Amino acid sequence: MRTHFAEVLARESVCLAGVTDGAKLAGWRRRVVEELMTPRSPYALAMRLTGDVPDRADFLDRWRELIAETVDRLLRSGTTGDTHFSSGQSRRADVDAQKTAVLILAALHGGSTLSQISKDPWPLNAALDLALAPFAAAEGNCPIDNMNP
Amino acid sequence: MTTADSHNGRRLTARGAKTRARIVAAATDLMYIKGVGATTLDEVLAASGVSKSQLYHHFDGKDALVRAVIDHVGERVIEREREALGHVSTIRGLRRWRDALVQNNALRHGAYGCALGSLATEVSDHDALARQALSQLFTEWQGLLAGVLRRLQDSGALPPEASTDQLATGLMAALQGGYMLAQTARDVTPMATSIDMALAHIESLSER
Repeated sequence: MRTHFAEVLARESVCLAGVTDGAKLAGWRRRVVEELMTPRSPYALAMRLTGDVPDRADFLDRWRELIAETVDRLLRSGTTGDTHFSSGQSRRADVDAQKTAVLILAALHGGSTLSQISKDPWPLNAALDLALAPFAAAEGNCPIDNMNP
Repeated sequence: MTTADSHNGRRLTARGAKTRARIVAAATDLMYIKGVGATTLDEVLAASGVSKSQLYHHFDGKDALVRAVIDHVGERVIEREREALGHVSTIRGLRRWRDALVQNNALRHGAYGCALGSLATEVSDHDALARQALSQLFTEWQGLLAGVLRRLQDSGALPPEASTDQLATGLMAALQGGYMLAQTARDVTPMATSIDMALAHIESLSER
């Protein structure tokens, strides 16, 4: 189990460090969805609630930190779905990087569980659409922010 | 008096139904606390106090027992959620639903997670029937959330173009993922944060 954790963290630290705008965030998201939907990939295995609890807690803390750093970087650079907000500036100031990272990690976890039982990536994408709503360009199921096309 | 055994179609006497219910109740508790994979049939026998022949009279093996546990837990969770969400039509009502789930989970420091979600993380791989049963249960639960969101739309609290099914699925994922993070952290805080963030997004849609 430890090796899956280490492998995911190694890949995530490289991939998330390269996320500097909405398009790159969308690329990260597509890759993670693909990994999570691949049975027995390191990502799918790392999401299971098996193995040593302290190891898993450490893994999740470190992944959440990597996501939070990325969210913070995107917020500082102004990468938000501003066009969909009536007041982009105040909206951006409202986004809390740490809490957004918790939601993104929960969406990856909960979304992949729902997707695995339905054998359909749609729930995972719906989860990420909601979690990544402050960065509307990274959407998957719908072009814009949970709205019907 | 007889009742039907949902899995093998056999008619059960009242005594048989009671034995079967005792086995399922013991298996449900063990699988919730230890996990499906770590629970053995010998432990279920010991905890329920039934004989091996009685257990095999009702269940072909562990997979059949796991499916009965899914039905049992699913029925309980859907009943609870129907009661909690069936008449909710405001964001405030959704927050009360959130408070009850977080509060209940906090009693155990988040250690065991969602009864249905825990089953979903463990059985989805090797048993297609169990997976489909879980998928239907989650669809039903999400349907209850989508119903709340549609009522929010009807009252104008959510814009008509918002996709209620997609938001309900996103909210369910935030809830389930939150349970899993809390389970690992042995602390309910990440679960509360995750649902709060999802609800804040839903609420923000009405402000645009």
